[in-house]
Amino acid sequence: MPPISFLPRRLFLSAAVLFAGLVIANGAELTKDQHVNADLFSAILAPASGHTALDDKIAKLQAKVKTTHKAEPIIVQLGWTFVAKARVTSDPGFYKLAELCAQAAESDVADDSDAMLLRGHIAHALHRFSEVEAIGRKLTSETRPGWESFALLGDGLMEQGKLVEAIEAYQRMVDIRPCMQTYARVAHIRWLKGDLEGATNLMTTAVEESSERDPEPAAWAYTRLATYQLQAGNMSGAARSLDRATDFLPDYPAALLVRAKLLVSHNKSAEALPILERAIQQSPLPEYQWMLADAAHVAGKKELETKTEDTIRLRGKSEDARSFSLFLASRHENTKLALALAQEELNKRRDAFTYDAVAWAALANGDAAQAQVNIEQALSEGTVDVRLFYHAGRIALANGEKKVAAERFARALPIKQMLLPSEQADLHEQLGRLPQSAATFPASTTDKQLAATGRN
Amino acid sequence: MLTPRLITHATTAACALLAFGLASPQGARASSHQDAPLIVLDPAANTTDVYAFRSNHPNGEKYLTVALAVYPFEEPGVGPNKWNFDDKVLYQIHVATGDDLTAGRPTVSYSFRFKTFYKNTDTILQSYIGVVEHVADANQNLTQRYSVTKTTTAGSTTIFTNVPVPPNNQGLVTPFYNKDNNGNERAKEGATFPAALDRYTKEAIATNAQGYEVFAGQRDDGFYADIQSIFDLDFSFSGPNKSFDSQGGFNVHTIVLNIPLSQLGGSEQVAGIYVTTSRQQVRVLRDRSNGSGGTESGNFVQVGRQGNPLFCEAFVPIKAKDLYNETDPSQDATLFKKYALDPELATILGLPANLQTNRTDLAGIFIPDLIKVDLSTRPARLAGGTNPGAAPNDPGFNRLGIFGGGPNHAGGPAPDVLQSTFQTAFLNNGTLPGGWPNGRRFGDDVLDIAVLALLSDLRNPASPTLATAPADPGVDKVDHNDIGYNKTFPYAATAQNGRNHEHHQ
Repeated sequence: MPPISFLPRRLFLSAAVLFAGLVIANGAELTKDQHVNADLFSAILAPASGHTALDDKIAKLQAKVKTTHKAEPIIVQLGWTFVAKARVTSDPGFYKLAELCAQAAESDVADDSDAMLLRGHIAHALHRFSEVEAIGRKLTSETRPGWESFALLGDGLMEQGKLVEAIEAYQRMVDIRPCMQTYARVAHIRWLKGDLEGATNLMTTAVEESSERDPEPAAWAYTRLATYQLQAGNMSGAARSLDRATDFLPDYPAALLVRAKLLVSHNKSAEALPILERAIQQSPLPEYQWMLADAAHVAGKKELETKTEDTIRLRGKSEDARSFSLFLASRHENTKLALALAQEELNKRRDAFTYDAVAWAALANGDAAQAQVNIEQALSEGTVDVRLFYHAGRIALANGEKKVAAERFARALPIKQMLLPSEQADLHEQLGRLPQSAATFPASTTDKQLAATGRN
Repeated sequence: MLTPRLITHATTAACALLAFGLASPQGARASSHQDAPLIVLDPAANTTDVYAFRSNHPNGEKYLTVALAVYPFEEPGVGPNKWNFDDKVLYQIHVATGDDLTAGRPTVSYSFRFKTFYKNTDTILQSYIGVVEHVADANQNLTQRYSVTKTTTAGSTTIFTNVPVPPNNQGLVTPFYNKDNNGNERAKEGATFPAALDRYTKEAIATNAQGYEVFAGQRDDGFYADIQSIFDLDFSFSGPNKSFDSQGGFNVHTIVLNIPLSQLGGSEQVAGIYVTTSRQQVRVLRDRSNGSGGTESGNFVQVGRQGNPLFCEAFVPIKAKDLYNETDPSQDATLFKKYALDPELATILGLPANLQTNRTDLAGIFIPDLIKVDLSTRPARLAGGTNPGAAPNDPGFNRLGIFGGGPNHAGGPAPDVLQSTFQTAFLNNGTLPGGWPNGRRFGDDVLDIAVLALLSDLRNPASPTLATAPADPGVDKVDHNDIGYNKTFPYAATAQNGRNHEHHQ
């Protein structure tokens, strides 16, 4: 029988004890252990310059690290806060600081699983996917692996195109913990496997669990949901999801990009321009710049188009090599560099989109046969992605396979709103060149799936 | 200054899940309402408090009253679409008796599943089309209904179906929650008998042939404490703007179940209560082979758990909080007993060294983490309120239970205790606390009691020490809820009016 009772009072302690001994040390000296890693600490404890809530949190954690004896958990916490800062600002420099935190924590406690998880997450953000896989495998071999370990492993595997293993890892993950983070990952891999309806259902569940306490993942999940809805032609649903995403983070670049796509699909390219410029201010990626350049072209803003394309040419390689490769190949500029960049990326990850980039660059270099091999690889997982189908159609045409080309263009056509305006124009041009018999293709399974997602 | 742009954006681009974190540990956000890193991100499944106490129905039937609350810090009136029970969450109340009590496993579980409906989808007015005259009428557009299933080793039976959830207290469209049935007025408080309850609450109470009673809906958050000071590391609980009831003026969503003792095998026993929330697993790849587009399927997985107040929050360290929420009490002795035996809080509070370790008395309360209730006593004395119009506390009620009253505490003439009829070997022929940790009532000052329990030393029954309670308003200087509790089922205080409420009073 558990003791559920208190005994009669005989001796009394003063409640003043409660208030005794509560002086929190506020000296600023590092502990002895911390001195060993003085360089690391000087970097991660450098004062932050911003004034946001995250900056305040960083400052508080930095102060706490200085005054805590066994500070590893706080250092890891500081690392995660740098990660959050990186995600909100799209400034990868904060990942480096986060990585230093992981190093500092692991230097004191070898194989600390919390620090390893942090390091794995950063490696993922920095596209070191084989390292992610290694860390994930180590973490999942622990006695009681958490869902986060399987999530990390699945993330690393997925980016490397190892979808079968990634699905196994994600299944273990969601079996342990059904929650927003796990549902969203499962939704994404469903989308990769061509199940747009299943992805939409589960991302809807994920966003229902979103919390204002953690706004960035909520904004991300809503943005992904909007992307699925846009692909399904559910424009009003996409608009609502984007509203929610920007309720969480008003200037969230990814949401602004999808908002711009939505506007462009409604022939409101001019309205999309300031939105894209806002997104680029925070996240100057080629993907965003390319969209801006295209929208500027449609809106007749030649100067903005030229300036933006020049920026892509200047910085695209260092900002995002794969997107830059696609840009160059699409414009038939420096196609050898495009192919080299795509192939280099393929060494890091063998997912559908990297195979597509290699295929597209190969085509731009006149190697339609090689392009065919790579685009088939890209299509092999069943991903319903408009650019894959569009590229596949172009490659089939280059190989003289008009019927195959028509079939693939037909799959791109219902979801053409996901393409850039220039790509859409080319898709229509290519279709116009096909014989009528080849260009009329029955509705595919994909179209049925789209209908099931509630387009309106 | 930090110069973060150490590397380019190359490494942040085009990574599918780049922006999606792993719900990293967020640090010490522990309170009754903000306990573990993951569950705070899932408010619909985030239990804030559990209550369990002996009660009597006006008709004389003896009950164990149990309640669970979710959705911490519901701001009243922000829009009723925001706060509702989640159709995808399985809410469960577990009761352990006999050998199951010490083993920490449920003898009987009550499962609550909700379904949300709209009466009219051709309108933008999602929740209220007009003044709600009666629960679930045409003007309560968004309506939730729920079922309750009882599960024992013998199997499962549904004991309630299709029970409506009353509207949230928005204000003018929900006038009958409020004083004078006026949506501009504060919420009614302190009903002492069923007929005195507000209309919506009365209409939302369901009973069945076995004598069960159930209610589920928005209620005032009955937990009161100065959480702000605790997380501000200000243990003086003083200064400008103090005292400060952090939960004052906020609502929660609460399920209350009255279980006839006859359904639990009678009154001569101790029952242990804990609650869980669960979400459904999914198959990563749906089975689309039948051409139907695929179906979702999967078992429910526990994502939240709570028993005694403050255990996960004040004893379990950050690294183990999520594990606590994912495991059941049968594992507490293995996984979490150490945190009760050697509580970090005792060190933080600077208690004498002998009170910092080997706290078998605290482990007795918290391990396994069930709220233990002696069912043989008279009904627990109930809290009412102090605001005008609220029913007063029952005579002898003390927010500190056994720590209240007596010459060292100005709270009352005597401690609030109950007498067991079968645990006679205990104490003075079975003297038990009137409130937590013998059950937990609405109105128990659990933060003060927890501190006093830490300061006490009950390890040696032959020479126990019981801490002195500071004079009112007590440890954190918050000694009552901001709104009076009802003293009749469902006991939890009426939901705060979105149009007229005040925070932190």
